[in-house]
Amino acid sequence: MKLPFSLLLFCFFLIACNDTYKNKSEAVNRIPITDSANFNNDANKINPYSPIDISPMDMSYYPADYPKLKMTKSISTPPMARVIYSRPHLQGRKLFVDLLKYNEPWRLGANEATELDLYKNVTIQNRKIKAGRYVLYCIPDVDKWTIVLNSNIDSWGLHSDETKDIARFIIPSGHTNNSIEYFTIVFEKTGNNVELVMAWDNVEARLPISF
Amino acid sequence: MKKNILPLFIFQLFFFTAIAQNNNLPLVDKSPMDMSYYPANYPVLKIQDKITEPLVARIVYSRPQKAGRIIFGDLVKYDEVWRMGANEATEIEFFKQVKIEGKKISKGRYTVYAIVNENSWTIILNKETDTWGAFKYNPKKDVVRATASTQKTDSVIEYLSMVFEKATSGFNLVVAWDNVKAILPITY
Repeated sequence: MKLPFSLLLFCFFLIACNDTYKNKSEAVNRIPITDSANFNNDANKINPYSPIDISPMDMSYYPADYPKLKMTKSISTPPMARVIYSRPHLQGRKLFVDLLKYNEPWRLGANEATELDLYKNVTIQNRKIKAGRYVLYCIPDVDKWTIVLNSNIDSWGLHSDETKDIARFIIPSGHTNNSIEYFTIVFEKTGNNVELVMAWDNVEARLPISF
Repeated sequence: MKKNILPLFIFQLFFFTAIAQNNNLPLVDKSPMDMSYYPANYPVLKIQDKITEPLVARIVYSRPQKAGRIIFGDLVKYDEVWRMGANEATEIEFFKQVKIEGKKISKGRYTVYAIVNENSWTIILNKETDTWGAFKYNPKKDVVRATASTQKTDSVIEYLSMVFEKATSGFNLVVAWDNVKAILPITY
């Protein structure tokens, strides 16, 4: 029994290596300029409809992995929130200060503005936030981030029209043990607390949300 | 026996190290997600103050690659419900009421599936949102089943692609992959 299992692990390992190698060679061939540079590979040149983004889009639900839970029928309650964001990657750069500057607003993603969908009213730092769609951005500082909910939805990048800010929350930022190549947003539940986790390079910030 | 265990141990060590490096945070998907709006490029137009018509629709989907495979009739079987995407179920959102084959579709979010055939596709809108793939697809929750005409494309399209294109009345959802594109008219 052990031999086939180890073979399987080995296959996974090979696949993982292969992907890493590809990413690295792509990074070397490209001059990283911004977090949303154009991705000019051969497959894209002939796609007349929609090229693949260098910073791929992704989504995270709360409850975490909600669509999979729903598929396995192990959940019957509706989802409470989700984030849709694009994932820039480091490509050998340091987050601070190659990519981001302290005290300058950052789009918390790439391409289309990062979107927080709340499917029910929530409370953040004792403030009630209504169900709805919001743009999410931040203003990072050395040891704290300001997280901003803004109503300028369905927009691109960050046009921080502060008149459309709905709420601002200051949260501490910390460090991770390992460097995270791709910017990542997930919801995590620890005990009774739900946090929106934003992590990239060796920095993470957590916004507690009460549902 | 000992000879077998050492390489196994090393491989497992590498394997688990590879995962640990990502702090148990999600890896980047092999089939990346993307979104398309109607009007096309609405977010960019919005920040450039170039919007001439209101926001009507958006599709959020994941983009599998052809990767050397024959797609239609092989990877995607004819006459079977296909998830028309990857990972999370493909989702279309209408920001106002629209019509598909004359049927009124209320503003809101829907999952999208397709039944592919050689000469036309059936595009399905379904009420069961926030789900994964088409594994629990339930036809009882269908909102509409409409026919999309197909055409051969001039070139091979590596990644599944979806865009909205303006039409003489309303707009079209264009779904393209490999050497086929399907066109679903949407009106007001």
